[in-house]
Amino acid sequence: MGRDILLLAHASFGAIGCLAALWVFVEALSARPENAARIRIAAFVAAASMAGAWICGGYWYVHFYPAEKVLILKGPWPFAHNTFMETKEHLFFITGILAFLLPLATRENLYANSGARKLVLSIAGMIAITGLAVEGAGAVIDHGVKVALLRGR
Amino acid sequence: MMDSKLTPATSGFVLAAAITFLFNTALAIVKDSSPPLTAFMASLSGHQWTTHGLADLVVFAGLGVVFTYLRVGEKIATNRLIGVLIGTVAVAGLGLAAWYVLF
Repeated sequence: MGRDILLLAHASFGAIGCLAALWVFVEALSARPENAARIRIAAFVAAASMAGAWICGGYWYVHFYPAEKVLILKGPWPFAHNTFMETKEHLFFITGILAFLLPLATRENLYANSGARKLVLSIAGMIAITGLAVEGAGAVIDHGVKVALLRGR
Repeated sequence: MMDSKLTPATSGFVLAAAITFLFNTALAIVKDSSPPLTAFMASLSGHQWTTHGLADLVVFAGLGVVFTYLRVGEKIATNRLIGVLIGTVAVAGLGLAAWYVLF
């Protein structure tokens, strides 16, 4: 039960991080003094959520994934590990570091600095894109386990 | 007129992030090609992936502090810095995907 909650928390934190990054993106499109605090709060939520996803996912990956990996590799979808998990586990580091960079970038006065606004839009957009790619890879890995259990033998 | 210059901390950490992304992909490829390196990384923290993540964080934070102190990022135009960040995310991300699809 605990391991399932950990895995669901990992995916949920990741989804919240992506949504918070999208929130930053939308607010930054019309940056003004009135929404500066909201942008910084959303950036902090994105960073904290990605940190949560990193810790929960990392603990689950190190302690519980090896058994699932064996199942996937014996099943009909070995690429769920060989391609998707291998890419996901390293691509996530990029998403995480982008999320840690976001609160720093939002400390700039976005309403008075066009360069800083473009930077925040770029970082937030890339968090959403890479984060969704990682979430999608997670779904493929999960399905790799499922087809191994249903059709593996 | 609108400003477009970033603070030394922001520009320094953006540059640090770009270098960390390339380091991350390079380490993933080298690690996969070298079982002794994987074993060494596993011996440091109990799991190679944990060591990999910690190494990324150390590179990002370490370079970020150094670049901020030396004001390195300030010497690069903001638009160029954004281009470097986007470019390294694309190269590092697609490089990872290509490595695990092809090899």
